[in-house]
Amino acid sequence: MLVGAFAVAHTPQLLIRPATEDRELVLRVHAAMRRVKARLEALRPDVLAVIAGDHVEAFFLDAVPALAVYVGRECAGTFGPYRYRVDVHEPLARAIVEQGIERGFDLLYTQDAPLDYAFYVPLHFVMPEPPRPIVPLHVNVYLPPQPTPARCHAWGQALGEILRARPERVALIASGGMSHFPGTDRYASPDFEYDRGLLEALAGGRGRELARATGEELDKRGNIELRTWITLLGAVGDARAQVYCYEPSWHHGNAVVEWPLEAPA
Amino acid sequence: MSPGPAEAAHYRFPPASAYALNRCLYAIKSDRVFAERFLADAETVMAEQGLSEDERADLRRMDRDALVARGAHPYLVFMAGLRLATLAEPGSLEYF
Repeated sequence: MLVGAFAVAHTPQLLIRPATEDRELVLRVHAAMRRVKARLEALRPDVLAVIAGDHVEAFFLDAVPALAVYVGRECAGTFGPYRYRVDVHEPLARAIVEQGIERGFDLLYTQDAPLDYAFYVPLHFVMPEPPRPIVPLHVNVYLPPQPTPARCHAWGQALGEILRARPERVALIASGGMSHFPGTDRYASPDFEYDRGLLEALAGGRGRELARATGEELDKRGNIELRTWITLLGAVGDARAQVYCYEPSWHHGNAVVEWPLEAPA
Repeated sequence: MSPGPAEAAHYRFPPASAYALNRCLYAIKSDRVFAERFLADAETVMAEQGLSEDERADLRRMDRDALVARGAHPYLVFMAGLRLATLAEPGSLEYF
C-alpha cells in the first residue's frame, strides 16, 4: 500500500557546503528534510521507493535506460568522501519490474549498478529510524532523449497501482528539482517564478498540469529533473501538495514537499 | 541553418563524435583514482583516452563553451571541473 509521498531536493551543496553557499539557507532546507524524516517515522513505511534521475553515474553512454529499477539485495555508491550502502527491498523491487513489464513498461533492471547521489542525498537526511530498505527507481533526466513527461506520468500511474496492491507499507520519495541549470551559462539564473507558479498549482491539487509540460519546456525552465516529480504525481493523482520549504539559492530552487494521502482502507 | 529547438536546448543528445571526450570527463567525475592520475599527468591520460589535439587543448584549459560545442555533456564538464578543482585545492567545505 502507498502510505506517503514526498519530493526532496538533492543538490550536493546541501550535503557538502562550499563557502559559496548561504549556510542559513542550507540549514533551513535541512530542517524541512527533518520534518520529512519525522513524518516517515509516523507513517511507519516498510520500504522507501525513491524515484531519482541518475547523474550520468550508474548509466553512462554505454547504455542509457529511460526507466530502471534496482533489484539487487543492496546497492552502494560514493560521493565525495561519503561511502554508502543501503538494503534493497528485493520482493517489492522484483514485483515492480515484473508487473511494470506486464503493464507494458519496458523497464531495465540492475542488480549491481552504483547508486548516484541523487538517491543518497535525500536518504542521508530523511531515512527514518530504524532504517528501511529502499527500491531505487531511475528516470533518465540528463541524457537526451529523455522519456516524455506524459510517459513518466503514465509510469507513475502504473507504479501507484502496483504499490497500492502490495502488502508492504510504501512511501514514495521523488528526488530532485526544482529549477537549476548545472554546467550551463544559466547556472546562476534559475527560473524561480516558474517554480513558484508550479508549487501553487501542486498545492491546489493540479498536478496534471505539470504532467502536460513538454520536455522542451522542462529543459527551458531548468526543470528536467521534475520528471521524477511527474512520475510521483502519476501515482498520487490529485492529492494536494503541502510545501515544507521553497528556498531559492543563487543556483537552485530547493523544495521539500509532501502530498498527504488518504489513509489506506 | 538556424538551430532547431533540440539544438537550442541546455542538455542535448551527445554526438558519437564526442564519445571519447565524454568518457574521459565521466571518468574524471566518477573515478577518483582516474581524476588523480589526470591531475598528475593530463597529457598521458588524454593520449590514452584517444582524444584529438583540439579536444586536448580545450580540456587542458577546461574551456566549457568549447567542450560543449564539441558535444561534451555540460553536466560532465561541470562535475569533472569541480572534482579536479576540489582535488587540487580542498578548500573549506562543510560536511553534513
